Amino acid sequence: MAERRKTYVEDLDRSIYDIKNEFKYSYKTKKGLTPEIVKDISWNKNEPKWMTEFRLKSLEIYNKLDVPAWGPNLDDLDIENIVTYVRPNTDMKYSWDEVPEDIKSTFERLGIPEAERKSLAGVGAQYDSEVVYHNLKDDMAKKGVIYTDMETAIREYPDIIKKYFMTVVPPHDHKFVALHGAVWSGGSFVYVPKGVSVEIPLQSYFRSNAPGAGQFEHTLIIVDEGAFLHFIEGCSAPKYSVNNLHAGCVELIVKEGARLRYSTIESWSKNMYNLNTKRAIVEKDGTIEWISGSFGSKVSMLYPMSVLKGEGAKAEFTGITFAGEGQYLDTGAKVVHAAPYTTSTINTKSISKDGGVAVYRGSLTIAPNAHHSKATVSCESLMLDNKSRSDTIPVIDIRNDEVDIGHEAKIGRISEEAIFYLMSRGISEEEARAMIVRGFVEPIAKELPLEYAVEMNNLIKLELEGTIG
Amino acid sequence: MSIEIKDELNLIPVKTYRWLNVNHLKIDEVFDKEIKPYTKKFVDEQSNGNMFLGRINNVVSLEQYLEDFKGQIEYGVSKKLVHMAENLNNAGIFASLKRGKTIAEPIRVEYVLDEKEDVLIDNNIIIAEENSKATFVIDYSTEGNVSVFHNGALKVFAKAGADVTVIKIQRMNDNSYHFDSNVAFVEKGARVSFIQAEIGCKKLVTNYISNLKEESESYIDSVYLGDKDRELDLSYYMNHVGRRSISNMEIKGALKDRAKKLFKGTIDFKQGSSRAIGREEEAVIIFNKDVKADAVPLLLCTEDDVTGEHAASAGKVDADKLFYMMSRGFSKEEAIKLIVEASFNPVIDKIPMEDIREIIRKEIHNRLVTEGNR
Repeated sequence: MAERRKTYVEDLDRSIYDIKNEFKYSYKTKKGLTPEIVKDISWNKNEPKWMTEFRLKSLEIYNKLDVPAWGPNLDDLDIENIVTYVRPNTDMKYSWDEVPEDIKSTFERLGIPEAERKSLAGVGAQYDSEVVYHNLKDDMAKKGVIYTDMETAIREYPDIIKKYFMTVVPPHDHKFVALHGAVWSGGSFVYVPKGVSVEIPLQSYFRSNAPGAGQFEHTLIIVDEGAFLHFIEGCSAPKYSVNNLHAGCVELIVKEGARLRYSTIESWSKNMYNLNTKRAIVEKDGTIEWISGSFGSKVSMLYPMSVLKGEGAKAEFTGITFAGEGQYLDTGAKVVHAAPYTTSTINTKSISKDGGVAVYRGSLTIAPNAHHSKATVSCESLMLDNKSRSDTIPVIDIRNDEVDIGHEAKIGRISEEAIFYLMSRGISEEEARAMIVRGFVEPIAKELPLEYAVEMNNLIKLELEGTIG
Repeated sequence: MSIEIKDELNLIPVKTYRWLNVNHLKIDEVFDKEIKPYTKKFVDEQSNGNMFLGRINNVVSLEQYLEDFKGQIEYGVSKKLVHMAENLNNAGIFASLKRGKTIAEPIRVEYVLDEKEDVLIDNNIIIAEENSKATFVIDYSTEGNVSVFHNGALKVFAKAGADVTVIKIQRMNDNSYHFDSNVAFVEKGARVSFIQAEIGCKKLVTNYISNLKEESESYIDSVYLGDKDRELDLSYYMNHVGRRSISNMEIKGALKDRAKKLFKGTIDFKQGSSRAIGREEEAVIIFNKDVKADAVPLLLCTEDDVTGEHAASAGKVDADKLFYMMSRGFSKEEAIKLIVEASFNPVIDKIPMEDIREIIRKEIHNRLVTEGNR
């Protein structure tokens, strides 16, 4: 048999993410999870009583729930060996100049301060369990936009936080969100007032530096009636030999006629268990747009959910997952159509190589009252070798007749015919293969903010070589 | 003695979120019935140069036929129900097609249940030797309206180059229960075509797995109709083991009244199934807002050089279409029936016997027009 050439896609270049800082902290909890540790975190953060009680209640729920019986194996994840709270060696600053040198240089390598100067309306930077830098441009603050860390938010906007905190994603939802409720720290709070359009994005960046630790940041965003916001979330960590855990929680509330675009590029290190929960509630004529890139972590379970609660609400989900050696990335999207005339579009792509596992797992629910709903799901998977795995596990649940539902999924390798065609047009085989892989991810890449699109292209560096197929 | 079923049926090949209740079908029912001998004639027994065809309990030893497949036969609605069908059966056929022989006439198997014989446990085995060819029609029906119980198993062994078509029709009354486990082993270059029409019953649970070896082909063409309070749980699984194997699933459904349906369709490309092609399509038409239509189209893959596609769609009958037909003098029920027929026809037309096609059309007519007018 003739030798068949395969496209070789190089591993992600992780060098900038993998630079470790010396592990310095002002305070950390003991390993494991007990009511004492939870009280300790709350006391250390000087929290109101309701929050301490909320944490303890979440811990009770955590102890009652079992780990999911589906998806990736979580046996190696030992909560007893995870440090749930690490306070970095600094307070929160409003100027990069005041941030300690080692932490500042970490974020500089990640390009955060530069991006802030050039293309962002505000930035939050979290280092281990606490936010070390937060700033919002003056003109946005003047319009009434609030962008701050959660710790400050609890102090300064207690009523709003108490009203919404973990109502979109309640702690009894699943085990790891209950864990989040018990030990959460850090994260951002955003409020965009009625009719205000935040033209340039806000960005929060979560960096986990401590080995064997957990990061449990909480993000709460409220976009009020007719307002618009683009929020970017970035996350990374250096690689350690011990398992780290990330169980963040993102709650998004999109009010009537508002629009929120939530972009994430996640490049955790390959010792990270990324068990993150994200959910948006969208009211009448509101729109949620998710852009989600999953590149890092050892295990990911991430299925952002959109609850279309008001008539005419819309959800769009665009996701790309790239699973390489040693990675099990179980990602997807959930949509609940809970009102009439709601629309959703899910569009995902995945690439798996070198024994990596990429799973699309999703659900689409049309509630009995959601007449005249429309939903489209499209999933495409590209397998680059036969050591890897790629599964598509969607569930469609329809309880109304006035609906228009379409779902399609495709799997395969790079088509020989397409290569042949391009070569017949004078393009070299290598270039043809690279074009096809780039073309495969392009619909996702074009949705990303420019600097992220560039980053993604750098992440997926194509290199071609002949191997026996 | 009664028949008790407390079990988890039609387990999904890969589990997912628990809140959706699609991982399995929980059942806890007691049927106040006992397994008695089934005395009616259901097949023309014959033994000649082309084949052996007989009642399964007349076959002295099945062991010798099943030797090759020992240890790899795991299939069906549930282990318990398969065990019941294989060991406590009161009916079933055993067919062995001789090497290289083509049976021109379709082989008909007719199971009719009624008040007296209200339990059917059938174990059916079809062995198609190299390059043999035949078509089987297995028809489950009832006389009268008494609730009956059916639990059956079917194994098809298609040896190299064999070509087997199995047509299964279930048109039992609305008080009945139907549990149906099917498995096919499709050897090199063989072809198994499975055509299924699920038209009746109160609760029906169907499971079909096809194991595809090198260069084999497997097809599922299925229609289902859910009306009144019918509950349908259908699971089809194409297991691509061999290189260049081809599978195709085409499922057409219609749901009205308060029917509930869960369809699970899996294409699994195992490592080594390079250049395999698997396609799956499910389309359901929904007539009422009280139906529940769930679908889990799974695509599992551990081989890169394959082509896999699945598509599922659901929608309401186009109101304009309905209005137009009614303006041409059709009643609403007739118009609905025509729309369902138009969707089902590509599948029904694959059935080679006119009378069987007619039976299915009549059954659909009865359910959508005659009863609808009542």
